[in-house]
Amino acid sequence: MKFQSHYLFYMVLLLFAGGCSATPEGQLSESRDPYEDGNRKVFAFNMDVDTYVLEPVASSYLENVPPRGQTAIGNHVRWAGMPSTAINSTLQGKFENAGLATLNFLVNGLTLGFADLTEDDAPISKADFGQTLAAADVPQGSYLMVPLLGPRTTRSLAGTLVDTVLDPVGALAAGSGARALSTVQAPLGAVTFRADNFDAVNDVKYNAIDPYARTRSIYLQSRDGMTGQTMDRGIGTSDSDDEFDAFFNEAQ
Amino acid sequence: MGCLSAALILCTSFASTSWANDAESAATKHIENMILAAEGLLHEDSNDPSKRATAVAGLLDSYFDFPAITRFSAGPYWRAATETEKREYEQALRQVIIGTVVTNFDKLQGLKYNHLASTPKGSTLVLVSGEFIDTTGARPKVLVNWRVISNPDNRPAVMDIEIENISMLITQKQENVAIIRQNKGKFAALIEAMQKQLDQ
Repeated sequence: MKFQSHYLFYMVLLLFAGGCSATPEGQLSESRDPYEDGNRKVFAFNMDVDTYVLEPVASSYLENVPPRGQTAIGNHVRWAGMPSTAINSTLQGKFENAGLATLNFLVNGLTLGFADLTEDDAPISKADFGQTLAAADVPQGSYLMVPLLGPRTTRSLAGTLVDTVLDPVGALAAGSGARALSTVQAPLGAVTFRADNFDAVNDVKYNAIDPYARTRSIYLQSRDGMTGQTMDRGIGTSDSDDEFDAFFNEAQ
Repeated sequence: MGCLSAALILCTSFASTSWANDAESAATKHIENMILAAEGLLHEDSNDPSKRATAVAGLLDSYFDFPAITRFSAGPYWRAATETEKREYEQALRQVIIGTVVTNFDKLQGLKYNHLASTPKGSTLVLVSGEFIDTTGARPKVLVNWRVISNPDNRPAVMDIEIENISMLITQKQENVAIIRQNKGKFAALIEAMQKQLDQ
């Protein structure tokens, strides 16, 4: 039932996205955002949800949950994403990362991820199906602002759908005692994300002149950076080079 | 003739490599000096906002290419702007940047900077990569790229800071362009919006 309800939810979201009428090109402030008008309305809705629900919950979480508790919950949320990281790292040919993610999931499964028993300093890069699609040269598509989920591109939203449908943690939890934990993972993930980025999100929300445009810019750069990592770009590289090259070429 | 061509190519390559090495060293040194200057300011900080603003302004003028930042952040609308608009925009942007740094000054305490690499980007820029580590362990490590204008004609100057793949200057530019386009291409609308934000 959980599988079907998640699947249905994301199908509705995709239909919603597909049904948005495109903003006339002359009014676009970003070429990758053809549905800007509709996206701005959804953003306003999401900001209201944040103001009345997520921000106060995250603030209360930061004030009332002790740091150790926050660490444990953060560990659990990260652990729950390890199967997706392992599967997608394998699909992208990142076998070391896949191995580390698998080991982390199996070892820390003893504590449902609340305690990190691996004591391994090697960082595990989060991998999702959106990055896998990027590695397969699937075009990024349009920028979308999705109700409750926030910013996505067509590609990353498709990736989110696949990751949710293929989530082995959700499948294993069905019909077992861990089902309750699986059900709260999405809201728990939202609260911990908001808490971990409390000041940064508030800075955009309250100090940006155009919070929608700033959120879009940060999201698209962040996704470009994540898919850049998929393509083995290392230290001393940047996805922003083209914009600066164009600036200096114009100046000459 | 073949030998002469080969010699010319070698000389040009050598000169180009030599410039690149000089530019990298100059850019790296520039960032190191800037970090030292910032650490000095943090050490002497008296928590007085006006003194902080003066100190940050000094850092901005000494280590950043503010005219280039101003032109870049206005995007394609800079050329069409009037001289008055350009002046007003520059002043507003300066206040926004200084205000942001002053507000977040305390968050810079306890950070240690490690240089990782310097990579030339074309004939003008060097990407200086580093990381900030929180000495208290409270915050995760943050990767930073400094985009430094470094060429034989000018002293080095920082144009952009990229934090975990997010360019501060590109973010500002994209937001600015969005505001202008939402206001039917009027550059003055951006200046008005910035001044309204500063007044809040």
